[in-house]
Amino acid sequence: MTRWHLSRRSLLLGASGVAVAGAMLGRPRGAYAAGKLSVGFWDHWVPGANDTLTRLCREWAAKEKIDLTIDYIPSQGNKLLLTIAAEAQARSGHDILAMNTWLPGSHAERLEPVDDVMKDVLAKNGPTNPVVEYLGKPDGHWRAVPATPGSQMKGPASRIDLLKEHAGIDILAMYPPDGPATPAAEQWTWDALLAAAEKCHKAGFPFGIGLGTTSDNVDTWGSLFHAFGARLVDEKGNIVVKSDATRAALEFAKKLAAFLPADAIAWDDGSNNRWLISGKGALIFNPPSAWAVAKRDAPQVAEKVWHHPAPKGPKGRFGPYLPYYWAIWSFSPNKSAAKSLLAHLSTREAAEQLVAASQGYDIPGYLSFNDFKTWNEEGPPRGTLRHYPPTKDQILSIAAAPAPHKIAEQIYNQATITKMIARIVQGGDSIDKAIAWAESELEGFMRG
Amino acid sequence: MAQAAAIGGALEERGASRGGGLARRRARIAFLLCLPLILLVLALVIYPAFYSLHLATLNKSMTRFVGLANFAFLFKRETFWMVVEQSVIFAVGAVVFKALIGFVLAHLVHRLPQRGQRAWRGMLLVPWVIPPAMSTLVWWWMYEPSYSALNWLLAGMGFAPVPWLGDPYWARFAVILVNVWYGAPFFMIMYLAALKSVPAELYESAEIDGANAWQKLIYVTLPMLRNIIAITVLFSLIVTFANFDIVRILTAGGPRDMTHVFATWAFKLGIESNDIPLGACVSLFMFPILGIAAVFILRDVHRRSRELAGVAA
Amino acid sequence: MSRPEVAAPGAEKAPTGDLRRQRRWALWSAYACLGLFCVFFLAPPIYALVTSLKTSQEIAALEGNPWLVRDPTLANYAALLGSSTFLRFFWNSAKVAVIVVAVTMVIATLAAFSLARMRFFGSTALATGVFLTYLIPETLLFIPLFQIFTWLRDVTGIEFINRWWILCIVYPTLTVPFCTWILIGYFSSIPKELDEAAIVDGASTLQLLLKVFLPVALPGLIAATIFAFTVSWAQFLYPLAFTTSLDQLVLPVGIVTNLIKGDVFNWGQIMAGALLTAAPPVLLYAFLMDYYIAGLTAGATKG
Repeated sequence: MTRWHLSRRSLLLGASGVAVAGAMLGRPRGAYAAGKLSVGFWDHWVPGANDTLTRLCREWAAKEKIDLTIDYIPSQGNKLLLTIAAEAQARSGHDILAMNTWLPGSHAERLEPVDDVMKDVLAKNGPTNPVVEYLGKPDGHWRAVPATPGSQMKGPASRIDLLKEHAGIDILAMYPPDGPATPAAEQWTWDALLAAAEKCHKAGFPFGIGLGTTSDNVDTWGSLFHAFGARLVDEKGNIVVKSDATRAALEFAKKLAAFLPADAIAWDDGSNNRWLISGKGALIFNPPSAWAVAKRDAPQVAEKVWHHPAPKGPKGRFGPYLPYYWAIWSFSPNKSAAKSLLAHLSTREAAEQLVAASQGYDIPGYLSFNDFKTWNEEGPPRGTLRHYPPTKDQILSIAAAPAPHKIAEQIYNQATITKMIARIVQGGDSIDKAIAWAESELEGFMRG
Repeated sequence: MAQAAAIGGALEERGASRGGGLARRRARIAFLLCLPLILLVLALVIYPAFYSLHLATLNKSMTRFVGLANFAFLFKRETFWMVVEQSVIFAVGAVVFKALIGFVLAHLVHRLPQRGQRAWRGMLLVPWVIPPAMSTLVWWWMYEPSYSALNWLLAGMGFAPVPWLGDPYWARFAVILVNVWYGAPFFMIMYLAALKSVPAELYESAEIDGANAWQKLIYVTLPMLRNIIAITVLFSLIVTFANFDIVRILTAGGPRDMTHVFATWAFKLGIESNDIPLGACVSLFMFPILGIAAVFILRDVHRRSRELAGVAA
Repeated sequence: MSRPEVAAPGAEKAPTGDLRRQRRWALWSAYACLGLFCVFFLAPPIYALVTSLKTSQEIAALEGNPWLVRDPTLANYAALLGSSTFLRFFWNSAKVAVIVVAVTMVIATLAAFSLARMRFFGSTALATGVFLTYLIPETLLFIPLFQIFTWLRDVTGIEFINRWWILCIVYPTLTVPFCTWILIGYFSSIPKELDEAAIVDGASTLQLLLKVFLPVALPGLIAATIFAFTVSWAQFLYPLAFTTSLDQLVLPVGIVTNLIKGDVFNWGQIMAGALLTAAPPVLLYAFLMDYYIAGLTAGATKG
């Protein structure tokens, strides 16, 4: 490190003087015998949802006598990502941070294993869904505890009226407000979606499925790839993108893209929300955030929105699930307190309250928690969220799986899947050329 | 201030007691006055930059030294050369337009009656005073696919809506447009002041020689403004080349990576894809390109200053 | 030194009617051109204002002219100004800006004085070289800087990261070079005779600086101050990287990251926030415009 040309003594004297002054001006400490804990949670967009989480934490902190600091960090502008990266580099910062999707995997070595916490939690709650386990257990150890706030399904949100009028699809018959999916839902396939997209496009209400590089877009097309059985990299790390399944998926994507908005390639996570709220579109792939905002700003649109599972493809019905986690840094000075807090937040009661506060947006990762009342009751239209949580006929997926985590993270963040499609649709590449490009990108991701 | 005085005073005594010449003592004071600046730059710019250089030679998980492997990897990637090309197009294109528009505006304002100039100058400088992150947000809203106010205007005039951020070439245009909007006022202000300092006699004697407006521009105005043009262009090239906010907020590098510039791509690779050494490597490429441009332009400026100084003396 | 012929439109002139009409036409076309550019330059802030006065329902609706407000409301401004979070952002920005301006002016004035007037080994190189610090951009520096501040924390026990005062340390790297350059230009234009007169009267270096230079160079100082303030106020990347907690954020980061949650954009509030953030630099500039422009361009005329 740099050698300063001042006397070390004067530097330390000065520094300690400032430190003393700082300490005297700092917050007075109460009787916090068990120490301090600093947590960074994901800033929930639903107003008031953060408050429930704060309350749950404070209850715990009062009981355990911990001096707790809570920060809510938004994911917009990649603020959360930046915070995580900075703290990983500096090996200092919060004790617990919210992390989503690939982050626990990519920072696995720097996270405290939470196998002990998960053993108790799983014993009480039952198993998690496979995506949560795949992403939370990157190296055989649980590196983070599944979090309820932020975990979401990215299935379709459709306009009941437009689908019926222009595409002839009665989505309510398939996914009724009062009961489980009917046999009619078997007809909700990707081919059916393609036909509907064409009809709605002709009628002037195109589907708003983005082809951009942000997570909403990647998740949607990732589930399409899974539905066709197309993989980019397999579990062992071999590049398998050059396959008939991939070609089939890309062919389909090319056909579908013809009926999507012209600038879909530049869409971010909010663009499809605005597409639905403005009334322009008949279907988007999104969690209930768009509908919830429409309730406030465009109620005439909101009351016609229905959430339901993704379509079925040749290899099954794959639903995109995006999990959030709470992870403890290995440099945290108070790991036992951290684990205790996370266990407290993983109970069924806590999850139920959080889901209610989020107006049904959050979907906890424990399979047994998918029966909360909130989803059946939210509206208008009542029952719109009934089919939002994962159903037994869906296979939950995350784009880029089953690739090894560090590679999958890059595929996801660099949006290789949507970029392949964009190259074909906008760049005029042939399907084979796009696959060749993807291969070279994937080779780049293999670097250690 | 008191500290500076103390240093100054102490040094004067020491200087006097050593019997050093006035020049030596003044040189020492001069150096000490510059010391805060030097320390600031060394500690917070130069040292971190070298540390970055060190980072760029590590492997992805920052556990091993891999020498120039990151650089070699970048040279082989198609996206890297795209980013180089795009950064250059963005920087050069934006600066050229900013300089041109600034130049034209300066002339227009210069020809106005004196009392009117102040108001026009004031209004035209507004873009540069608004924090760029904020004004980019407004432009983003104006470009927004579903609600674009600009498309509404175009539709009113009978044109089809433009996919401002959706089509790669329109997106490049959109980003350059925002940068030009933001930076042209700076050029205008500088050139306006420079124009005012050109002696009227030069124009008058040119007129006597029968020069028309165009010739006056080429033979009187441009040579007199050469230095200020060089300096503003250099400063703007540097700042525009390293621009992060505008591309990040408007397009995040898309579509299809066709609006990425060095800073945003470095951010994407380094932070978002968790490969900090590679990100550092990408940002380092900005430095030599700018350095070469800086050397050339500054050499020219120095030569001119020395000429002028020689003439004036 | 403007041409006298174009002094005032419509004034009685000796030239023939033809020439006068030509000049009038040139003048009016200049106004028209400038008017067009003004529209271009002022359209975004005006649109921001218009949007900030709309309810979110009106913003979400596609019908009608987006450039007009049908049901103006101050709700967005009320929400922001009544929010303690927003006011906290404002206060943090103000604190940081004032401190950074003070630090910058001290460093830049001392350095400019030295480089404009005195010689020492490497001073010419430094004068031109100080500019080149801008060649090393923020995106390169913020991670190594993070490391440095962590190391400092380990050595001194003071937490720098996620505290607003870390910005007071890093912002000067952005403001000092340009301010120094402005001041060098300004100081160089002060005639040396003033120096000599003061020295003959027995002034020390420091008195020379304080009593002779600063008063004469006041416009340049004001310009540098305004520049330093504007740059500090507008910073985005460094605060984004170094501050996380809500009570440590400054305005640009606060507006962008706190008014957009997940995928839900609150455009009315975002625009209101953007305008409120832009207000201090714009107001400062509006009142001190002449000083700002004079100081900024002192360098221009020196070449």
